[in-house]
Amino acid sequence: MTTRSRILTTVLAALAGGHALAADSAADAASNKLARELLQQLIEINTTDSVGNVTAAAEAMAQRFRAAGFPAADIVIVGGPNEKKKNLVVRLRGTGQHKPLLLMGHLDVVEAHREDWTVDPFKLVEKDGYFYGRGSSDMKEDDAIMVASLLRMKQEGFKPNRDLILALTADEEGGCCNGPDWLLKNRRDLVDAEFAINTDGWSVASEKGVAKMFRLGATEKLYGDYQLTVTNRGGHSSEPRADNAIYELSQALINLSKYQFPFELNNVTRPYFEQLAKEASGQRASDLRAILKNPPDETAVQRLSQDPSVNSVMRTNCVATRLDGGHANNALPQRAQANVNCRIFPGHSLEDIRQQLIKVIADQQITVRYVADNGQVAEVVPNRKSLPPPPLNPEVVKPLEKVAAEMWPGIPVVPFMAAGASDAIYTNAAGIPTYGITGIMIDVDDVRAHGRDERVPVNSFYNGNLFFYRYLKALTGP
Amino acid sequence: MRRAPACAALLAGTLVLAGAQAGESTGAASRQLARELLQQLVEINTTDSVGNVSEAAEAMAQRFRAAGFAAADVQLLGPSPKKQNLVVRLRGSGAHQPLLLLGHLDVVEAPREDWATDPFRLVEKDGYFYGRGTLDMKNGVAVMVTTLLEMKREGFRPARDIILALTADEEGGTANGVQWLYQNRPELIAAELAINQDDWSIPTENGRAVVFNLAASEKLYADFELSVSNPGGHSSEPGPENAIYTLTQALDRLAAYQFPFELNAVTRAYYQRRAALESGQRAADMRAIVREPPDPQAIRRLSQDIRDRSTTHTTCVPTRLEAGHANNALPQRAQAVVNCRILPGHSAEEIRQQLQQVVANAQVRVRYLGSDGRALEQAPQARALPPTEVTPEMLNLLQQVAQQIWPQIVVIPFMEVGTSDSEYSMAAGVPTYTFGAVPFDPDDDRAHGRDERVAVNSFYQDNEFFRRYLRALTAR
Repeated sequence: MTTRSRILTTVLAALAGGHALAADSAADAASNKLARELLQQLIEINTTDSVGNVTAAAEAMAQRFRAAGFPAADIVIVGGPNEKKKNLVVRLRGTGQHKPLLLMGHLDVVEAHREDWTVDPFKLVEKDGYFYGRGSSDMKEDDAIMVASLLRMKQEGFKPNRDLILALTADEEGGCCNGPDWLLKNRRDLVDAEFAINTDGWSVASEKGVAKMFRLGATEKLYGDYQLTVTNRGGHSSEPRADNAIYELSQALINLSKYQFPFELNNVTRPYFEQLAKEASGQRASDLRAILKNPPDETAVQRLSQDPSVNSVMRTNCVATRLDGGHANNALPQRAQANVNCRIFPGHSLEDIRQQLIKVIADQQITVRYVADNGQVAEVVPNRKSLPPPPLNPEVVKPLEKVAAEMWPGIPVVPFMAAGASDAIYTNAAGIPTYGITGIMIDVDDVRAHGRDERVPVNSFYNGNLFFYRYLKALTGP
Repeated sequence: MRRAPACAALLAGTLVLAGAQAGESTGAASRQLARELLQQLVEINTTDSVGNVSEAAEAMAQRFRAAGFAAADVQLLGPSPKKQNLVVRLRGSGAHQPLLLLGHLDVVEAPREDWATDPFRLVEKDGYFYGRGTLDMKNGVAVMVTTLLEMKREGFRPARDIILALTADEEGGTANGVQWLYQNRPELIAAELAINQDDWSIPTENGRAVVFNLAASEKLYADFELSVSNPGGHSSEPGPENAIYTLTQALDRLAAYQFPFELNAVTRAYYQRRAALESGQRAADMRAIVREPPDPQAIRRLSQDIRDRSTTHTTCVPTRLEAGHANNALPQRAQAVVNCRILPGHSAEEIRQQLQQVVANAQVRVRYLGSDGRALEQAPQARALPPTEVTPEMLNLLQQVAQQIWPQIVVIPFMEVGTSDSEYSMAAGVPTYTFGAVPFDPDDDRAHGRDERVAVNSFYQDNEFFRRYLRALTAR
């Protein structure tokens, strides 16, 4: 189905393409200018959990919608009791022919330490063809693009065939007050939709700046944090003993670093690897085919596991992300703790993985506890599994193939399992099938989201902006 | 090394044991005062993070003023409002140069959630006083203050001024009080010899006090930072390189490493005397390690004991860990603090280079941590100070007084494996003896740990010992 419709839409695009691009160029340039302005405004509002303020960013975007003439009733800032974690929900009214479409983006960003970065993470810096700043690729660029697209539609008087609801939310990256979770539990009426598009990600995978495929997010791994804790009676560090909380924790983490969860496939990753095999050549191509055999070729599995972007689609991954131990330089540690972050292959529960971690660590002295989204350690693990992929909706896929083919001729649209978890977990669980779609293109070996010197290519940002506007019109046009 | 002529002079005569004549009622009053002071001190939080040393210094100053010490002899001074030190002078006849008594007021951090009781309340339970500082060393401070207040009340006139310095930041921090005093007001604490109470010198054996460790040497204290940096990234796609795993590998190598065996004048004397108190294999091993060359099997067996291991080796142990900035991001930095106790004769820089070899990975940077917390590429080249000489007179007086309280006890020269403020007075050329006459169970050492405690009896025995000893030492 994918192949056939791609050929068809390519032909259509070739017929229709010429005049549309010329006529829209002035409006496109204006939209890109606005998107950049929005990106700068968003990056320069610190929305980290520690010292940032999501509400300030929500309010800044609300102002934009008010100024553009959206009715006050369609611009709602809402959330739990935390004044710094409010969400923005905006509705662009449609004809009402279909149930609404929910567009999702999170406003919060991961912590960024100035001393680790070469530029100020909370200033938008354009340099060498990139926009730098915390959130430039996760995901203030997509927030800016969604806002710019809705503002453009409003200005042009575009009336979609269904209401478009934009939810810009808090605490996707962690923290007390996840926005979509709160909205679905408390204000379902505001965000209820037939399906949702979550722009959290980068759909266009490129290598050395050349687009290779459009990844349509169709399922995702389950996110789980676990806390490993060793306690010890401590004491004066002038008389060290063999038992030491830090040494014990180190040993456990060494065991973890050597462990590999089993290789798995599902009905999203199988076609994904088939597509990768088509793109690849030599050893890599034959390895990709070999892992799809039954039983899979173990040597091929091991070779491909060396590539982090492939490895993460092949199995559950758990990695140590934080350490904390000791209370004084001159005292033996009474406690040593590590956070282990897991991305769980669909079908396994949080508790399954906790049990497996206990086996891998193989030390009774170390407790392994689940850490909830609000950062609290939980004695009881929630009975959460990642749900099976929602059925691919042709209403979503067909216009996507059409617009993608216009912008990146020849690249396939491939169903994809996101290795990073997103807020889609909440909407999927609430029965709103959610697709990961964004026109942002990032080289697979230059993913800096959550890291230092986060950046997005300038061209990728502008293309992504145009893509999203066009796709949204194709999806909800008359 | 300097001899301590003061000791010889003042011990030549007969002992005057004023305390021995004190009645039971004096003892009870003294115990009550010491306990009251201990409680007052424990309940003033003097941690570096949220505590205030000045408050404790001021509380003690009040006691001295109330007891009639001249205002000029009770001075609060220091570099910052929260780190004031107290220097008190009990005037003597001036027959000899002054004696300096050292004690620190600050304590190590104590997170409430790790403790069974509130660490900043004095709790008496099951024969123990619980609270942060009950052993390290608000107990010693309370005992010294008690003794000086009593001397004053009784009109005791020592043969030399007795200077008491109660100070900040022995446990860390940037304002070490003894160092500050030597740098800024050396005349205020100038002395012929010093006694630092920052120790617990009577490790009991099966509950019996048989040995009194007189510390006359110290290891050198040094902190090092092991750090690994990495580009980080999103934790959903972990690669083979991970700052945390690189660091844990390095720590694993450190765990397996042991620095070489060494003895010096004090530790050699310690094992020679100590062997006489031991029996069987342990006594034989002690004799075997003081021989030349020492017996490697004996070293290996003795090193199973953490105290013997620390006495005969430089030790380095990780005490803190920190890595990562978000649960869902690969760590960009991972670091550990490694705390080393270095044998006399070696420098911190020598040990830093050795650590770099032990971790065997150029990605792991080993830097020296200054007392201000800054990481430096190079550590100081200065070697740990040689021991203070222990004279027979010093040993004998201590032993005579100690045996009044613990009849079987033997005083033994000792190297302190921890570090105390004695390093500053020793560096200033003042012969310094470090001891606190506190019997304690060495298998239940909770100083710096959770539920720190001192046996109620031990605390009162120390108080009684110090009353008697200080009078004996300064009577003539």
